[in-house]
Amino acid sequence: MRLNFRGWCGFVAAFCLLIPFTLLAGAPKESRFEAFLVWATNGDDAARKPVTPEIRKKLKDLPLKWKNYFEINRTGLSLPPGGTQRAALSKKCSLELTDVDGKHLEIALIGKGEPVLKRTQSLSRGELLVLGGNAPDETGWLVVLKRIE
Amino acid sequence: MTEDQQLQLQAFSDGELKGRGAREVAAWVARDPEAAALLKELRNTREALKGFAPQSKVPVSRELYWPGIERRIRTVERERAPSRSPEFLSMLRRLLMPASALAALLLIVTIAGLQSGLFQSAHKADTETAMADSGTFTYQDYASGTTLVWVGYPAER
Repeated sequence: MRLNFRGWCGFVAAFCLLIPFTLLAGAPKESRFEAFLVWATNGDDAARKPVTPEIRKKLKDLPLKWKNYFEINRTGLSLPPGGTQRAALSKKCSLELTDVDGKHLEIALIGKGEPVLKRTQSLSRGELLVLGGNAPDETGWLVVLKRIE
Repeated sequence: MTEDQQLQLQAFSDGELKGRGAREVAAWVARDPEAAALLKELRNTREALKGFAPQSKVPVSRELYWPGIERRIRTVERERAPSRSPEFLSMLRRLLMPASALAALLLIVTIAGLQSGLFQSAHKADTETAMADSGTFTYQDYASGTTLVWVGYPAER
């Protein structure tokens, strides 16, 4: 294929137009998360709302002993590049997220105002991080963090 | 009659034989009717073709005419030699176009990769610090992309 002068000019113009689009497309974006406080139990509680089928399926794949998982609270978090966000899931439990390098997150679990756990990991879209512990009466509590975008 | 004899007769007919050679062939023709018939045929043919032969005259002598043609052929060859240059440029252009397109694509991918952090080489390992309790364990379900971190912290719901 031969390019004449006009062809070369068109090629260069298209290339120059592509660069800003590429820069815009590759620019770091705000990450969005959803955090759930979940109560795990073998009993039934008609007053409670069960977790979504997607989360339920993933929890069922984990080595947990409970049959039912109820959503106690749900909150959304938007994390700018390099930023930190805190979300309260209950009066005594909150979650703090920090964007470390665009790929990794620092997740801090805070209970009764005190840091309980700090973890750094990557969390891709659709992946879940489940933080959990035992609760009274053979039940359990879970904090489920899900990346939306 | 042999082929050599036929050629000798043709040379005699064309007047190429001189002296003794010509006399010998003339004597042979006189005594051999086959040779005489062939000579007659050759002469008739030459006479018949004489009118068709082109009568072109060269402007200079034979010694100057052919060297002149040779000089002109060499001049034409020298003039043709630089005509390779456009072909080379055309080939270069043909190679340059996909090469520049590839370079542009690589540049775009590199910029996008650097911007999005795709080329960050160091993989940061997952780290964990349990602050309230040391009995923390982690379970990773790679199939579903789920990480479970279990802490011995008695939280209240």
